Amino acid sequence: MIIRIIYTFCFLILNANFLVSKEVNVFSSRHYESDYKLYDFFTKKTGIKVNVITGKSKLLEKRIIEEGSSCKGDLLILADAGRMGSAESKGLFQKFNSSVLKKKIPENLRTDYWYSIAKRARIFFYNNANINNKDLKNIDYLDLADEKWDGDILIRASNNIYNQSLVAYMIEVYGEKKATEWVRGLVKNMARSPQGNDRAQILGVAAKEGKIAVANTYYHSLMMSGKKGTEQKKAAKKVSPIFPGQNSKGTHINISGAGLLKHSPNKKNAIKLLEFFLSDKAQKHIVNNTFEYPISKNVNPHPLVSRMGTNFKENNSISISSYFKWQSKAYKIMLENGWK
Amino acid sequence: MLTQFYLKKFNALYFLVFVLSLLILSPFLSIFISLFGEVTEYFFIIKDRLFELYLFNTIILVVSVVSITFLLGTFSAFLVSFYEFPGCRFFKWALILSFAVPSYIYGYAFTAFFENYGTAYSIVSFFHNSESVNTYIPKFNGMVGAIISLSFSLYVYVYIFSRSTFTNQSSEIIETSRIFGLSTGSFFLKVLIPLSRPAIITGLSLVAMETLSDFGTVYFFNIPTFTTAIYDSWMGFDDTTTANLLSAFLLIIILIFFTTEKFSRKKSSYYDRKLSNKNLKKNINLHGWASFFAFSFCFLLFFLSFIFPFLQMLYWSFKFPEYFFIYNFFELNLNLLKLIFLSLTLIILVSFFVNYALRILNSNFLNSVSSLSIIGYAVPGLIISIALMSFLSFTSDYFNVNLRNAFIGSITGLVLGYFLRFYSVSFLGIQSNYLKIDKKVDESSYLLGFSKFKTFRLIHLPYFKKPTLLISILLVIEIIKELPITLVMRPFNFETFATKAYSFASQDLLEATAVPSLSIIVWATIFIIFTFKFSDSDK
Repeated sequence: MIIRIIYTFCFLILNANFLVSKEVNVFSSRHYESDYKLYDFFTKKTGIKVNVITGKSKLLEKRIIEEGSSCKGDLLILADAGRMGSAESKGLFQKFNSSVLKKKIPENLRTDYWYSIAKRARIFFYNNANINNKDLKNIDYLDLADEKWDGDILIRASNNIYNQSLVAYMIEVYGEKKATEWVRGLVKNMARSPQGNDRAQILGVAAKEGKIAVANTYYHSLMMSGKKGTEQKKAAKKVSPIFPGQNSKGTHINISGAGLLKHSPNKKNAIKLLEFFLSDKAQKHIVNNTFEYPISKNVNPHPLVSRMGTNFKENNSISISSYFKWQSKAYKIMLENGWK
Repeated sequence: MLTQFYLKKFNALYFLVFVLSLLILSPFLSIFISLFGEVTEYFFIIKDRLFELYLFNTIILVVSVVSITFLLGTFSAFLVSFYEFPGCRFFKWALILSFAVPSYIYGYAFTAFFENYGTAYSIVSFFHNSESVNTYIPKFNGMVGAIISLSFSLYVYVYIFSRSTFTNQSSEIIETSRIFGLSTGSFFLKVLIPLSRPAIITGLSLVAMETLSDFGTVYFFNIPTFTTAIYDSWMGFDDTTTANLLSAFLLIIILIFFTTEKFSRKKSSYYDRKLSNKNLKKNINLHGWASFFAFSFCFLLFFLSFIFPFLQMLYWSFKFPEYFFIYNFFELNLNLLKLIFLSLTLIILVSFFVNYALRILNSNFLNSVSSLSIIGYAVPGLIISIALMSFLSFTSDYFNVNLRNAFIGSITGLVLGYFLRFYSVSFLGIQSNYLKIDKKVDESSYLLGFSKFKTFRLIHLPYFKKPTLLISILLVIEIIKELPITLVMRPFNFETFATKAYSFASQDLLEATAVPSLSIIVWATIFIIFTFKFSDSDK
């Protein structure tokens, strides 16, 4: 009897979610705690409850594919343009029309199937005490393969998606042959076998283990914010950012994006949420918590990010949707040339 | 005769157990069936360039972890089983506590301590503030970090199995060795280790299987092994065929380990019966340097395997108290209890049912099929979740029933995933205890007019009280730590301590993983202490 009562209790709890009619179901590979607050804002504003599952992008993709038309998910949010492209190529998304999104998001940061909600730049960090400023003048991604940086470059592993997207970008901009030579040179110049995340590369430069670290912009801001403790803030202060490619093609940009799932049962609510992400309030919330760059022109980045630079030249000439096209090729080139 | 009589009567049961074992096995079969798809370029990169690297790294990792856990596990078990020294009683159970620290959490703590401007830096610069502190702090590359993290969290397997045989070793053998003038070292190496070989091999096989199927730790330390290759072929190249090929290869290696382990387990039960007499051996009192050495060894092991990660997490919790308030503890604990309760009920019930049916049916064929169906423990959780999803989707399409809604993204599906992963722990545990009940007991019971169910309820069940509790606690600890299946199969808005820890680690806020990690450690510790007190009280 007791067991029966407990079971009934458990199942009631399990099914409680489905009693709410106004809802939207989100699959997200963004793990930011602040995103949950953003969903709360949305619920307060619209009365629509946001249900979330977070996880690795390909796992979410796999689940959506296997669930097929039974999939209850409405939106898929992923933190990489290549990953968005991968989901699109598998027919996970559906097209929809939103003048709001088209107006707020530059053309190169969206496709017919998915839209960017925040962006980040993959840039260089250096330690003033460790480098001659002349060497940094007009520095570009291509320079990472220059012999003069022999044993000086800190960058994470090849299985990291941001690096795969960077190499995919190099293939798109310079072609496969030049990109391969570049990877070969870069691997030769590595200060150590790739280890740790982007922050570990920045710390490596602060501790003079190498001269140039390649990392996404928000890692440095996260350290500067003190959220990682005073020691890391101290380390971050020793390090300065530099935006590569300012005198050539521009800086490599990546995004977090979202797309409407093909079998979305709450389509209207999902579109509302996606449009909400681009509202000034949501954009402000995102940039102030995750230190990404905003997509909306009405919003300024977090002061720590602005201090790094806001008027840098992005490479807008290519669409970020091209990263997916080259990502597998990029990874292959990296592996074949010894990028661990 | 009687068995044959029941066999006829229980054809339906035979069929049921067969189908059940096949159902348990089928998600794993889907790995082999899907081997024949198209491969991408990645397959050829692996074949031509990386296979040797994966093999080399996997071998280095397994051999190192097995060797280190062997040394740590057997030597510490030797010290606490044969000697008396300060803290000896405490270490007896305290050395099991590192079982509560998942190796990926050990990895987080280890990295955070030694990295540039990490915890070690903070400690040293508190006393000596200099720019060059970072250069004096040792840096461990990926492989060393992974070996250390895995060894310190897995040596417990060897420790537990060694200690249980060491404790049961008859005092005559020890006395005889002393009379023959064997030194302590010779006794340990030449007498004790060979005598306890089956138990030690069982422990080491578990270590090897866990190391082979580990994903979280090797991925965190960026070591290309078979498990990371499976992940990368899928994530980087969308090449599920290569992922399945590698999984199948891993599965075959693991099956070889598993067969060895099973073989040695059989031997082990034989040894145990022979050796476990009730002659209580008297432990030797250690004095002076010897006592100091024994204490230091155990203390250092306890400190490095448990206190160190625990303190690192505690340090973070105090340093960043803001992360304490973002957790809904009520919900997290409720989710944990829900999962534990439902999974335990299912796993234990099925294990009892299948074991009891196998006992009645006495069919070699059925025994082999159900033995195969327990490979789940040796398969990485990530592969289980993928195999399970593919299987559910395939079955739904083929039979035109919607199993997807019932299992993918529901507690039922999660429980099924845990069942596939951990069934073997309970199946083997109950099986080994069933072997100890003579079949004549059953036959006498039937002759007395007891029904099958009554025999089970009145004769078998009372005997299983203690083993079931021990198995349940082992399962509970595994469920608390489980990550990959939970991550993929869970319903919306469903979090556990493990998914929360993972989520913060993913956004590079290892500091925030302290609270869920500590919760995992505390929960598991409570269960371990409970197990120890319970099993000890019986003595």
